[in-house]
Amino acid sequence: MPRKIVIWVVLAALVVTFVGVLGARMAEGAVLPEIILGPLGLTDALFYLFAAMTFAGAATVALSKNILHSALGLLAALMGTGSLYVFLSADFLAVTQLLVYIGGVLVLILFAVMLTNRITEVKISNASLGLVGGGALLVATVPVLVFVAIATPWATIVPAELAPTTREIGNAFLTRWLLPFELASLVLLATLIGAVVIARKELKQDEPDTSVS
Amino acid sequence: MPVNYSPPPKSTPKVIVAVTLAAAAGIPFLFLGLVLLLTPVLKPATIDGLLSNAGIDPSWRTPAYVAALFVLALLMMNYGAIFSGVITWWERRVAGRIQSRIGPNRAGFGGFFIFIADAVKMLLKEDLVPADADALLFRAAPYFVVTGFALTFVVLPFGHSLVVTDLNVGVFYVTSVTALVVVGILISGWASNSKWALFGGVRAAAQVISYEIPAGVSIFVPIAMAGTLSMQGIIRAQGGLPWEWFVFRNPAALIAFFVLFTSQLAEANRTPFDLPEAESELVAGYLSEYSGFRFALFFLVEWGNIWVLSAIVTTLFLGGWQIPFVSAEYIDGLRGAGVLPSLAWWGWNAVSMAVFTAKTIALCNLVIWLRWTLPRVRVDQMMGLCWKYLVPAAFACFVFTLFWELAVSVAPRIELVSGVGFTVIAVVLAVLFARRVHQNIQAVQGEKIDLSNW
Amino acid sequence: MEQLIGNNLASVAGFRPELVLTFGSIALLVLDLVLRRSRSRRALLAGAAVIVLGLAAVLLAAQSTASTPLFNGMIASDAFATFFKWIFLAAGFLTVLIVAQGDDYPSPRVGEFYGLLLAVVLGMFLMASATNLLTIYMSIELVSMVSYVLAGFRKSDRKAAEASLKYVIYGSVASGVMLFGMSYLYGLLGTFDVLAFAPKIAELSATTGAAGAATKLALVVAVVFVSSGVGYKIASVPWHMWCPDVYEGAPTPFTAFLSVGPKAAGFALALRFFLGSFAGPMGANGMAESIAGIPWPAVIGVLSAVTMTLGNLTAIAQTNLKRLLAYSSIAHAGYTLMGLATLSALGMQGVMIYMLIYLVMNLGAFLVVIVVAEATGSESIFDYSGLVHRHPLAAIAFGIFLFSLTGLPPFAGFTGKWYLFYAVIERASGPAGFWYGALAVVGALNTAVSLYYYARIIRAMFLEAPHVTDRVAPKLGYQLMLGAFSAAILVFGIWWAPIVEWSQRSMVMLRG
Repeated sequence: MPRKIVIWVVLAALVVTFVGVLGARMAEGAVLPEIILGPLGLTDALFYLFAAMTFAGAATVALSKNILHSALGLLAALMGTGSLYVFLSADFLAVTQLLVYIGGVLVLILFAVMLTNRITEVKISNASLGLVGGGALLVATVPVLVFVAIATPWATIVPAELAPTTREIGNAFLTRWLLPFELASLVLLATLIGAVVIARKELKQDEPDTSVS
Repeated sequence: MPVNYSPPPKSTPKVIVAVTLAAAAGIPFLFLGLVLLLTPVLKPATIDGLLSNAGIDPSWRTPAYVAALFVLALLMMNYGAIFSGVITWWERRVAGRIQSRIGPNRAGFGGFFIFIADAVKMLLKEDLVPADADALLFRAAPYFVVTGFALTFVVLPFGHSLVVTDLNVGVFYVTSVTALVVVGILISGWASNSKWALFGGVRAAAQVISYEIPAGVSIFVPIAMAGTLSMQGIIRAQGGLPWEWFVFRNPAALIAFFVLFTSQLAEANRTPFDLPEAESELVAGYLSEYSGFRFALFFLVEWGNIWVLSAIVTTLFLGGWQIPFVSAEYIDGLRGAGVLPSLAWWGWNAVSMAVFTAKTIALCNLVIWLRWTLPRVRVDQMMGLCWKYLVPAAFACFVFTLFWELAVSVAPRIELVSGVGFTVIAVVLAVLFARRVHQNIQAVQGEKIDLSNW
Repeated sequence: MEQLIGNNLASVAGFRPELVLTFGSIALLVLDLVLRRSRSRRALLAGAAVIVLGLAAVLLAAQSTASTPLFNGMIASDAFATFFKWIFLAAGFLTVLIVAQGDDYPSPRVGEFYGLLLAVVLGMFLMASATNLLTIYMSIELVSMVSYVLAGFRKSDRKAAEASLKYVIYGSVASGVMLFGMSYLYGLLGTFDVLAFAPKIAELSATTGAAGAATKLALVVAVVFVSSGVGYKIASVPWHMWCPDVYEGAPTPFTAFLSVGPKAAGFALALRFFLGSFAGPMGANGMAESIAGIPWPAVIGVLSAVTMTLGNLTAIAQTNLKRLLAYSSIAHAGYTLMGLATLSALGMQGVMIYMLIYLVMNLGAFLVVIVVAEATGSESIFDYSGLVHRHPLAAIAFGIFLFSLTGLPPFAGFTGKWYLFYAVIERASGPAGFWYGALAVVGALNTAVSLYYYARIIRAMFLEAPHVTDRVAPKLGYQLMLGAFSAAILVFGIWWAPIVEWSQRSMVMLRG
């Protein structure tokens, strides 16, 4: 246990140093985006609440040893993400996120977990595996990503007023983005057929298929 | 120890009758009245107006909004809870009548107070957690169920302007938040660490996931007809008279209505789709291990969902709160320019609420009848019904509706023809049904119908 | 909005082969149900698949190769895409022919295989022509999703199940990383349109100071992440891990398809993505420069060197032929990446020629594996001892394919390699020429290494005594195909002008 902690501390220190050094080296004379600190409004408070929920949920997914707890963490992360869409005035997307990921994906995950015998007796978390390799990857990527995220002048747009988006989404799907939209349905159809092919009963060679009546 | 059984008193004391009747009338009126009064007032615009009228500093706006949100949440959750309490009593009485027995008749006149007695009893019980259960998840599961149930009240309309908030993705929102109920059921089934609970949970998952598809697709039909996802928008696209309701305006909508109603029954785990808690096979399914308060929460949701599903169906297909011969725009016009609406506006809102509530309660009654009339289906029948009949039917209805809407844009009269035609058929069927019921009662009780044992 | 709809409607004219594949794929699945009890369903279904592919080919041939954006710039129709579409059609057609004769896909399931195979071909068509991040992602997913299923088609086979699962897991991670990279690109450039990237990147990189540095870093990160999706499709290091297991576990005809089809599609996508959006236009000397000095050619070059070295060195130790060919295909992805790294017209042409020739020689090699496996039930190199005595045609054909894979003249593989190496050496005199020279040396050393393990098989087939002496009598169809493949390799090894001319004509790519 202490060894694990030591490794984590070393990793954290490395990450922090790298972020600092890299940031300082590359950001010399840089104007980092101004963080405007004002009075904490209701919207801000809610935003941080949902962001924290998303983050905590994601952490639970990765770190929990119990697969059901991981699934619940996923629930929190997905709901938090859905709530964050509301702040981007993407109401339709937020509700779709809820419907698809919680009503569909999460329930199916739970369903699959429950149908699997003794799944909870398997330690699914890999928190203690590959600590060195994973840590090296972490040290290599996190500073870069953090620096990129902070210092890059991202192309931004002014957040739109909270207005219904459903009609615009529908129009966009059927005009400008028609091909990707149809392609997505094709991907789903192919996946559906594939899933049936994989899941259905194995037949003996050259025996006429009588399983479907 | 022998149970000391005393037969019910021959006649109920007059005081108890009076108190019961007062409560039976008062509780619904109290809550519906609060909904009528509070939902239009506790809106940001009205709050702003009230604050500026009272000369209060605008910095109090945010606290006022938050307070308004809490008041509305409290109101809606209590409305759901009280309604599910009252409907348990009603269900037991109906069950008693259908099974030729009396049903609850002790607590108050006609046993009306039994739901309070039940609640008190359950609150006093110990909150047991089985030794090998996953304590955290076991305790958390009922909250998921209640959250999923309570969130639907955000967009469920009660009348012309009586809705907490009219989200422009309302229908979609209802379908998605109800998913939390399923998550709660699944978790409760797993966390109990009991095979009955697990079977119940798995059955629930299979059932709800399956029936979500016909339900979701059949909802497309009114959406396509109204051109909006907002609950109020869908109601406004209909009218007060039966042939102006979506259910009759389009042959596919009639089928979609039954598909949606059936799927909603299955999603709410109501008989004939109550396999997840089939007591003859699974003890009590996913809630086998629950007791006390948490058990009560599950049951609250179980019966509260009857209101939710009836209200959704009323909204989408049965014209919602639309008052015959009075257009929604007319009521809009009565509002006036003041911060608070005019008296006539309140009056018509009350009428619209009465219309909506009457339709919804009629559907609730239907749900209860179904429960005590139909036997439980088997698992394979349940799955077969969904995938072989309801899903194709729902898709066919959706596609038909799209063509129907095209046809309507060319010849608007077909909507009226369909509406009147189906209304006539429905009225004829209703009359035949009433006559048949009347004959049956006569056959048992003779010419004079006796309601004295009520 | 009317304009957008009008563009969509007009685009259908340039989308006919894809439409045929879409509806053909669905029609085959329906036909599979209709013919459920037919005695000759195998032949009928294969015939139907061939008809669909043939119809697509006819429409493709009839289609103009003028560079036009379709569906509001979602995909491009140009000569470059058409070239690769012919490769995909050929791969699909030959796979259908192989499957129709073999028993890797049992009769009750073969209709589903053909239907899904056509869906993969459609996905590869779109990969070769995608000019929008969304279509790029969707087409990669279409190919991947169906490939997962086809790789794990035989459920009872544990190896196939494992292969399919590994494929799914690696594939999901790769496409997740790619999506993350795409989100960076969108965040930086504010557009999904790949063709609109180049001017925006040039504009962005004009910013100086830390913001400029960060932008450049963000672009590099994005490129590396996006290339994970492509690298996974072409099985380049470090996204190659799925390759040996999947090649070994999947039914061999599909392995053969996987090694030529999706790999070519991945290269088509990479060429269009990198040359179209991260490189300036080609100069008079046929060379382009990376936009804003983003060092992506260096990244690709390093990947290329590592990929071919790792593939070849690991292949030496393999005894299972399918695994060996898997590592060999990783190595070939490395060689082909050299062409991408050169960032020149010659390199691009090299990739195109190589993919075309690789299609014939690798499919041929896998066909021999199928023939031998059907006769002996084994894919081990030990059962190839003395193959020349048991089945001379298979042994000689395999010899031809292996020499061609090595890149020895006078086989067609030499033509492909010659163009790739020539492109690298052409760069060796320019800026950063030392590194290109080093890359060429690594490539040459690798060719020598590959000769070692290819020659090991050839020695076993021709010089060792057979363990069993009974003669193998493969089906006539197989024999014809082996003969045709060998002939093609020999012909194009000597007379490569038509291939070169065709690829020369096909180098026209839609640019923004």
